[in-house]
Amino acid sequence: MLSTVLEQVVNGIVTGSVYAIVAVGMTMIFGVLRAINFAHGEYYMLGTFGAWFAVDYLGLSYEASIVVGILATIVVAYVVGQLVMRRMVGAPAESGVLATLGIALILQNAVIFVFGGGYKFFSGGYIEPISILGFSLAQQRILILVVCLVVFVGLELMVTYSRLGMAMRAVSQNVECCEVVGIDVPQVVLRTFILGAALAALSGVLTAPVNVSVYGGMGELITFKTLPIIIMGGLGNVRGTFFAAMILGIAESLVATYVGLQFRDTVGFATLILVLMWRPYGLFSTQARF
Amino acid sequence: MTHIFSRRMLCITGAVLSVAGAAPFATMAQAADTIKLGIVAPMSGPNARYGAFSMHGAELAVKDINAAGGVNGMKIELFNADSQGTPVEGVSATRRLIDQDGVDFVIGDVSSSVTLAMQPVAEDAQVLLLNAASSNPKITYQAGVGGFKWTYRNYPTDENRALIVAKYAAEQRGFTKFAVLSVDSDYGRSAITFTKKYLPDFKGQILSEDYYKEGEVDFRSVLAKIRDNGAQAIIYYGLADTTPILARQMIELGMAGKVTLIGNGEFNTEKTIKAAPSALEGAVEAAAWLPQFDSPASKAFVEKFTTSYKEAPNNHAYVHWDTVNLLAAAIKQAGSADKTKVRDALSKIKYKSPVGEVTFDDHNQARLPMILLQIEKGVPSIKGAYTADIQYPAK
Repeated sequence: MLSTVLEQVVNGIVTGSVYAIVAVGMTMIFGVLRAINFAHGEYYMLGTFGAWFAVDYLGLSYEASIVVGILATIVVAYVVGQLVMRRMVGAPAESGVLATLGIALILQNAVIFVFGGGYKFFSGGYIEPISILGFSLAQQRILILVVCLVVFVGLELMVTYSRLGMAMRAVSQNVECCEVVGIDVPQVVLRTFILGAALAALSGVLTAPVNVSVYGGMGELITFKTLPIIIMGGLGNVRGTFFAAMILGIAESLVATYVGLQFRDTVGFATLILVLMWRPYGLFSTQARF
Repeated sequence: MTHIFSRRMLCITGAVLSVAGAAPFATMAQAADTIKLGIVAPMSGPNARYGAFSMHGAELAVKDINAAGGVNGMKIELFNADSQGTPVEGVSATRRLIDQDGVDFVIGDVSSSVTLAMQPVAEDAQVLLLNAASSNPKITYQAGVGGFKWTYRNYPTDENRALIVAKYAAEQRGFTKFAVLSVDSDYGRSAITFTKKYLPDFKGQILSEDYYKEGEVDFRSVLAKIRDNGAQAIIYYGLADTTPILARQMIELGMAGKVTLIGNGEFNTEKTIKAAPSALEGAVEAAAWLPQFDSPASKAFVEKFTTSYKEAPNNHAYVHWDTVNLLAAAIKQAGSADKTKVRDALSKIKYKSPVGEVTFDDHNQARLPMILLQIEKGVPSIKGAYTADIQYPAK
């Protein structure tokens, strides 16, 4: 009994890691733009497609396909960033919603148009199971967990010490003051956006081997999973996002085991409703940031 | 000045565009002596693979019929509309085919949930809805003498499927303890409803019951539960695209070879078996058709499809190909493409399909066999074809 619970917690942490890497990009973009990026899951999808293309069409190894997937996403994110995201500094919230929803539709359908709407089969990765603490787990899942920890430690350091990190925090606190002291706000927004998109792509590429299927609409589901996480974590809060993602991952796992798989997707939104009722500024922020 | 000029330009452009837009209508009017056939299928979304196969199957049949001179001298003109596998989109796709393309005949959809939503639309418009690939029994429970006069189905139902899978699993494999893991849809849930109806006859017992949402990718939690509750087989009425994901995670949890998959979800395709050979070994599936089916007409179809589309056909390709041929046969028998006459011809037809002679019962349901197969050493092996008469619920 106890070992089953423990196993489900481990499962949840792995799922949470996937969510966390995607969500942290979304929360950072919100931090600098005050806009929810509804196209965020699409960058996850693009990364996966890039990697699938590299493995299936170019015959590259899985390791190389990770690089291809992320680079392809960075190129797309750069174009979208230059054309759209930069212009959203200071724009009203609804324009952000409309613009990112539109981008989501364009990216999704462009991929379906080019590669067809059917499921693709992702054949790369380390899917051999290994046994740890009596649980059987694919090696790939251990990799996801390790990468997630590295990403979050890296982001903490970046946000605290690097010039871009400090600029990001500054922009998220007060855009006007940034302009006064000479911070190039659109540039910070563009860089944050590309970083966030690249992280989503990384998450997609890492998950592809265990999720096997790759298809144009796969990003949507991820966007709607990350939304409750970033609100729970406190919009713009990197550390909070990590814990919120873990909580959601574990809760989903336990619900799938003890209540039923069909209730899994309700967990995120049920938690979202509770959080909005009692702590609308998030579980991990002491006060409303925005 | 520039304002006036640009306004004039706008008017001219508008006029040109409207003329250009009217051009297709002109050609449509000319082509009045064609038979307009609409296909509603999921061309995007989680079931897009089914849709692509369905379209290819239908296209192949139409191409062959037209190349041979058409039906009663009339060519078939094919229109397609994307249902995305959802009832809402399926209904608007059907409306589009009827209102804009002016079709008299519709074949669709793959998903039972979508077909159930399309039935009243076809009934209202008095357009012949010929279903080729949905298995929920309710579709023809409520057709023919059951209600909808314009719905016909050329596909066996879940009732037949659930019975023969349960019977085979219990009698030939000796399973008594089962776990349910099916897709959360009218197809997945109805297959389980009928499994529950028949399982007690074979002393079978269901230990756990879960339904997954389309697009679900993480089955580890539910598989761990099944591994621990001691089920011998997982009753899986799922989607083809989910089967490899599930089978791989069964290997990951060390369940391959210990727990057997039974039900339906394209266990028999090469790609699926290659994804997780050890998990699919011994899997039992009931399908309306599979490429290995042994009849000259069926083999000829497989060969033709494979040369045309560079991949082997699946079940949905076959049933759509076959249903277009069935419709052509009915039009030929009616001697006219008038939809009422074709409908009457369909009720009386004795159609020679590659899996046997097809007739329709008073609920407009085709009498068709389900084919039972088992994966042995990485290849599907056919264990028999079973037809069961449907016991319609008393009204």
